[in-house]
Amino acid sequence: MTISRILVLFTGLINIGTCNNAYNDFFDEELMLKPLSSDHVYAYFQFTTIWETENRVETLQHSHLFPRGLGEIIGRHNVEELHVTLTEGLWNYQKWGYPFHDAGPGAEVTAWFNKDVTNIEEEWKGLTNALAGLLCASLNFVDTSNSMSPEFTFRLTSVTDRPVNSSHLRYSSLPREIVCTENLTPFKKLLPCDSKRGLATLLNSAHIHNTNYHSIGIHFRSICRNAACTRTSLELRQTVSLIYDTMIDANQDWSIRKFFGMGLKGACPLATLSNIYVDISDNNTNHIYELTPSPSAKVVSLRGGQQNEIAVYDIRAHSSRGIFNIAAVHSAPKNNAIYYPSILYANRYIIGYGQERGSLVTKLYNNHWQALDIILLENIPWYLLVYLNSITITCNEQRVHPLAQRYLPGRERKSPYYLELILRLPPHSITKITIDMDYLFLKWQEYPPDANHGFYMGPAIVTALLPIARNYTALPLDGSTITSSFNASRDAYLVQLRTESLLISLPTPDFSMPYNVICLACTAVALAFGPLHNISTKRLVLKRIEKDWKGKLFSFFVGKLFGAKKKQD
Amino acid sequence: MSRKWLSNFALAGTIRLLIMNSEYQRIIGNRVEVSTALNSWKRVTEGVYLHKFGIDPYEGDLFHETPIGLYVFTLMQEYLPQWALFLLFVIVDLTTALCLAIAAKHYAIELATKRKEEKDENKRLSKDVPNTSALYVSAAYLFNPYIILNCIGLTTTVFTNLLYSIALVSMTRRSVLWSCASIALLTLQGLYPMSLMVPATIYVATTAKNRKIGIITMLIVFTSILAILFAVSYCIMGSWSFLWSTIGFILTVPDLRPNIGLYWYFFTEMFEHFRWLFIASFQINVSLLYIVPLALRLRRDPMLLAFSYLAIAAIFKSYPCIGDVGFYISLLPLWKHLFQHMQQGFIVGCFLLFCTVFAPTVWHQWIYSRSANANFYFGVTLAFAIAQIFLLTDILFASVKYEFAVQHGIDKKINGNEAKLLLE
Repeated sequence: MTISRILVLFTGLINIGTCNNAYNDFFDEELMLKPLSSDHVYAYFQFTTIWETENRVETLQHSHLFPRGLGEIIGRHNVEELHVTLTEGLWNYQKWGYPFHDAGPGAEVTAWFNKDVTNIEEEWKGLTNALAGLLCASLNFVDTSNSMSPEFTFRLTSVTDRPVNSSHLRYSSLPREIVCTENLTPFKKLLPCDSKRGLATLLNSAHIHNTNYHSIGIHFRSICRNAACTRTSLELRQTVSLIYDTMIDANQDWSIRKFFGMGLKGACPLATLSNIYVDISDNNTNHIYELTPSPSAKVVSLRGGQQNEIAVYDIRAHSSRGIFNIAAVHSAPKNNAIYYPSILYANRYIIGYGQERGSLVTKLYNNHWQALDIILLENIPWYLLVYLNSITITCNEQRVHPLAQRYLPGRERKSPYYLELILRLPPHSITKITIDMDYLFLKWQEYPPDANHGFYMGPAIVTALLPIARNYTALPLDGSTITSSFNASRDAYLVQLRTESLLISLPTPDFSMPYNVICLACTAVALAFGPLHNISTKRLVLKRIEKDWKGKLFSFFVGKLFGAKKKQD
Repeated sequence: MSRKWLSNFALAGTIRLLIMNSEYQRIIGNRVEVSTALNSWKRVTEGVYLHKFGIDPYEGDLFHETPIGLYVFTLMQEYLPQWALFLLFVIVDLTTALCLAIAAKHYAIELATKRKEEKDENKRLSKDVPNTSALYVSAAYLFNPYIILNCIGLTTTVFTNLLYSIALVSMTRRSVLWSCASIALLTLQGLYPMSLMVPATIYVATTAKNRKIGIITMLIVFTSILAILFAVSYCIMGSWSFLWSTIGFILTVPDLRPNIGLYWYFFTEMFEHFRWLFIASFQINVSLLYIVPLALRLRRDPMLLAFSYLAIAAIFKSYPCIGDVGFYISLLPLWKHLFQHMQQGFIVGCFLLFCTVFAPTVWHQWIYSRSANANFYFGVTLAFAIAQIFLLTDILFASVKYEFAVQHGIDKKINGNEAKLLLE
């Protein structure tokens, strides 16, 4: 009996093994907890699926760990690389450093299409509509009027033997999109273990959507399968970034149970790697705390001049004894925070009063001792008429000229204003870019409900290669898991920052007036038509004034009276 | 006499230059009543800037001048410093006044000779002195607040008005080439002035030996000049994309920024499935509907015909500005002989005055202090349009009555009984 059981188990194991071999795919789940100097904790989930296969329609139709729904969409629309993010809140670069994945407020989609695709607009429309269905987000509002193909800002990170230029790229942002449970649930369904096992069980909407910042993202690309890069694999990274505020508690203690409402039951059985990392670099400097249980291992990561100490927890090892929780217990009150501000950050605002015209101001801060070259992408919706001739770039009261500039004027209801500048920011400087614009008057049906709330304008994107990795967390270009970012020193570190999305109040008409306006304006036209018609069709004649009986009587008496007078004279 | 003329022009030029160099220039130039999408100098600057950078200005939404305009304005912005630019605008405006004066003089002489031919029975009708009419018209243009604001706002309507005045002068002088050239340029820029070909043709045809040949030459010259202008535009831009941004922009009314016309709020509030119907009917109303009836009625007075076309276009065109209104209002002294038959002069005057005061007030309340809404401004523009309609119809009625009075005498009596004039 036992022998047969063992046999069954054994064959089952063999089956799983062969299955894995047949599909050649791996799944990793990781969570990084990083206490920030501003009394926040940054929690970053990354679920990585790597599938050793080519990006072809036929292969994407049969999947194992890779989500089939997404695979089918990617295959059908010939997508080379895809980034979708749904974000609520604003990332504070100055205090929180740089995130693993940068995302603008609302929904953002970036896609690179295959070289074979000829009708990109159609594929883009199809892709965004399909993604809208997949993620329950309003991505179906993406069309030509809010998408663009920036030339410098985005680079293809996917490995391909047929490189494409920016005409195969589409980028769009929907800053008005509100991200909530209905987006998180389909997102979790894309994971191999769904939300039943593994780290995904921690993603409970009640605890995620009350954070200071939350962002979910799907990132798909092709990567090299080996060092020589002879063959490629597909990489899908599903990420969740959360910022928790620990300031609200007096003792500032935090734990997984406090953040996510429950402990961790165990790893996803399909995962090869199932780890939790805690960045304990600032322990004993900014905070003094103790982690319980103690980590499986500690890693020291030296990267671009920044040293990080990371506690590694292998979930499988810890969860064997039931539900497992990591807690940071502070033993002493908070020290005066020593924090190193990020070397590059930006903000943006609108000046001017009234609903007629204004100016858009983007400020770029360089805190580094070296000059930095940056790319600024301004994505201005069509309902703001931009006057490019009014652009002024000043730095320390001096006019600066951009190293390169790309501009495409927008068209009403058709395309946004696209402006891309390459600037050199002098060391320790604030560069200010001002551009004048007029607010457009829209048709009454184009205003959203609650028109006086205003219109959202997507963020500007600042792209730069930083020489040092201070506050830098993102994975290197050739890495797929969080572990690959440890000790990953490179020549430069790519950051893409998003500025604030802005709320613009456009002038509104009176929405209750359509019938009245139509009637009144037509009356004015009729007032001209009537007399002009009369003048041109009729002729003047003299007519005796026919009096009614009162008039006749009156004139009779008047005549009598005056007649008598005349006679007397 | 010449001292009067000189002082008028000098004073008008000084007023314009003084205000142009003050801080008010920017404010006036930004007013929606002065600058529309079609004539704003800010947009011209942007178009020239984009063109200089090798970006097709017609690809965007901002620039709606013709390619020929683009070429001229590029030259102007490249070679003229600020003060010279101001001076150019003032000089162009003064030239327009001069042209109008010449046209007025011709017209007055014409009117006088016509009356002599008719052997007017009533002495009271022939007291006009032709020369004063010219002075009045030029003064009405020089000191018209609408025109002054238009010039200070540096709108391209200043140049359009010059072309209009050239068209009027060449009409009265019966110059086929000049009138056709100026009207063709105007048509290329604004489409609606094409109607001015009717009075121009009437002028030429009445004096031509052979009427048919006169009319046909007129039409051939006009169409060929227009074709050449389109070809030149195509050569400058290298594509036909400008057509959609100039003529298409005028016809389809995509820009709903408020102006003094009727279109903006009407098409803001329009139901989407009726939009094209109403755009078509409004465009027919302004450009086609009145051409034939008025031409038939006023064929003996082509100047009045031109005036009424100008007025109708200024009232009903898609992007009117006060420069257009000011232009035809400056022609009013030409109809001095009709004033005694007009009935609504006071009402219209009050309406225009109040609208001029109210428009900026309610605009401020709507856009800046947000204590009013769009309806207020719409009400003002509606009243302004209606006042202009009253002015036009009043003048036309007066001309009909004047004709009647010339033929039948001014007494309104039948066999000693009181009678009234009626249209039948």
